[in-house]
Amino acid sequence: MNNKKNIILEEYENEFSYKKSKTNLDIQFNRIAFIFFVFLVISIIYSIQLLHLGSLKTEDSKKLLTVNKNHRADILDRNGNYLVKTVKSIDIGINPIEVIDKKKLLINLQLIFPDKNYADIIKKLEKNKFFYFEKKISTKNYEKIMLLGDKSIKSEEKLTRIYPQKNLFSHIIGQIDDDNKGISGLEKSFNEKLKQTSEPLKLTVDTDIQFLIREELVKFQSIFRSKGSTAILMNVNNGEIISMVSYPDFDLNKREKIVDLNFINRATKGVYELGSVFKTFTVAAGLEEGLINTDTEFLNLEKKLQCGKSSISEYDNKIPSDLTVEEILIRSGNIGSVRIGQKLEIIKLKAFLEKIGILSKINFDIEEVGEPIPFKWGKCKLATVSFGHGITTTPLQLAKAYAIISNGGFAVEPSLIKKELKNYQKKKRIIKAGISEKINPILRKIVTTKEGTAGFVNIEGYEVGGKTGTAEKSIAGGYTRKAKVNTFAGIFPTSNPKYVLIVLLDEPKTSSDYVYEYKNKKGSYKGTPFNTAGWTSVEVAGKIIEKIGPILATKHMEN
Amino acid sequence: MKQLVLVVIFALILITSLVKNSTKEIEDQIFIVNENIRPLKSELEDVLLEFNYLSSPEKLVQHQTQYFEKDLIKIEIMNIKEIIENNETLEINDLIKKNSNE
Repeated sequence: MNNKKNIILEEYENEFSYKKSKTNLDIQFNRIAFIFFVFLVISIIYSIQLLHLGSLKTEDSKKLLTVNKNHRADILDRNGNYLVKTVKSIDIGINPIEVIDKKKLLINLQLIFPDKNYADIIKKLEKNKFFYFEKKISTKNYEKIMLLGDKSIKSEEKLTRIYPQKNLFSHIIGQIDDDNKGISGLEKSFNEKLKQTSEPLKLTVDTDIQFLIREELVKFQSIFRSKGSTAILMNVNNGEIISMVSYPDFDLNKREKIVDLNFINRATKGVYELGSVFKTFTVAAGLEEGLINTDTEFLNLEKKLQCGKSSISEYDNKIPSDLTVEEILIRSGNIGSVRIGQKLEIIKLKAFLEKIGILSKINFDIEEVGEPIPFKWGKCKLATVSFGHGITTTPLQLAKAYAIISNGGFAVEPSLIKKELKNYQKKKRIIKAGISEKINPILRKIVTTKEGTAGFVNIEGYEVGGKTGTAEKSIAGGYTRKAKVNTFAGIFPTSNPKYVLIVLLDEPKTSSDYVYEYKNKKGSYKGTPFNTAGWTSVEVAGKIIEKIGPILATKHMEN
Repeated sequence: MKQLVLVVIFALILITSLVKNSTKEIEDQIFIVNENIRPLKSELEDVLLEFNYLSSPEKLVQHQTQYFEKDLIKIEIMNIKEIIENNETLEINDLIKKNSNE
């Protein structure tokens, strides 16, 4: 048997066939064009990135400023004069541990600073503790000392604030601590902004006017021996404060810690009972409500009113018992004001005082702001508030209220920061039209007529109008006749009011030597007969307007 | 068409690089000018500070008492005149007109 093995070779069919890999990208144009296209896309992305980085430049520089601890923006007045300037200074310290050759170092230092006491320096070197060798050194000496190349010498850059106007703006500007942190005034309220912005902060105040007003306050401080005084000059239409002085003040360059309460900012922080200056508000509220007119008569007015335990009487017995509303304000009648207040009733008088910003704390550019003392309204309170007693506020709020009453009834917010013209908000009326036109001539008559109480401020050419307020200071449970607060609240020119001026003397005394020059008649008078606003703060206001008036009239203060 | 696209792309790249090159030169010049202005600006600020200090009202009054025999006098507002230019002629008026009503 033949076993044959048959091997059958089957034809192997190779099923592999080359196929182009399938892709979603369908390149329709040739390869070179595609490469150029990719380059173009890359270059466009690169350009966009460059443009983006370029636009980021300003924001980055701002960020850098926030990091820089040694930056603080300057402060300027309305005319661009420096009120505060930041100057960088360098302090040099020595770390004795790192000194290699003490003798050599001392010789070198003696060559650069020959006038220093080196006995002390040697002692400090021996203590092996870091100490400041020289503070605020000149750039020349800094270069010399750094050229010594001694590792133990350490330099530290510090920030110094220079105040070229010294005391003039002490309460407005305020102080900073050693860590470049504002602790009072604008330095405190604008702390972050001053640290971040490179642009100087421009204020509304005028250095020349501030100086002239302060000069008068200083002069009369010695004449009337007051505890302190304050004056505010404000634009009635936009609330720009042109001057705000509180005396006594302090030199900011000395960097003293102020603890004496007599140095407070009386203009904003001082809360006072201001007396008869409030009668203007009572009359204005009556006119606003349509309950009275300027010629409305009040007949058979009593000389004395009893309210609870206390009595209300006229300060002057010569005041007639029949008075019109105009005469009540001109002669500063207490009983007449009470009658107007009673016509108004609590709700209306309270609402009016709230509307003109007297009763609540004012929102201002600096944080040192006083809060009017709250009280409970009642029949007696309505009577006393009507003539300005038993109610407190700050001189700044008084300035604001007089601005609203005299400017046609438009709201104003007192401000120290100069705004661009376009940033001033449209005027918002809060008092009816026509009230200012009735009040302003009465305020003028208080100054021009012999019955008025503010004759000494009748300076020719300025059309000054205003109201006086003499208030006894309150002590525990009552009032003292010895300590008074004498105030003058004035506006000028009364035909088209532009400025409001508040002058307040805190506890003035009479002067036996001072000579008054009458303004509404010829002659003079020696000595202060009465410790009233008419004989003290009005005289100060008159002297202030005489001095600042020509500057206000000729300078373009609107800008 | 393909050639046109290529030429446009090439031209764009060329123009971009040329513009970038020229702006870089301007940027360099701006940088140099800024660096030169910086010390001048700081110097100007220092001079202004000195000027503000020396011409401050307090200093002026001090200089006046030191160097002048006569006192400073205040100007009466009624004596201040206003010059008004009116068709090539100058008109001089009182700044404050007297109020006859009072």
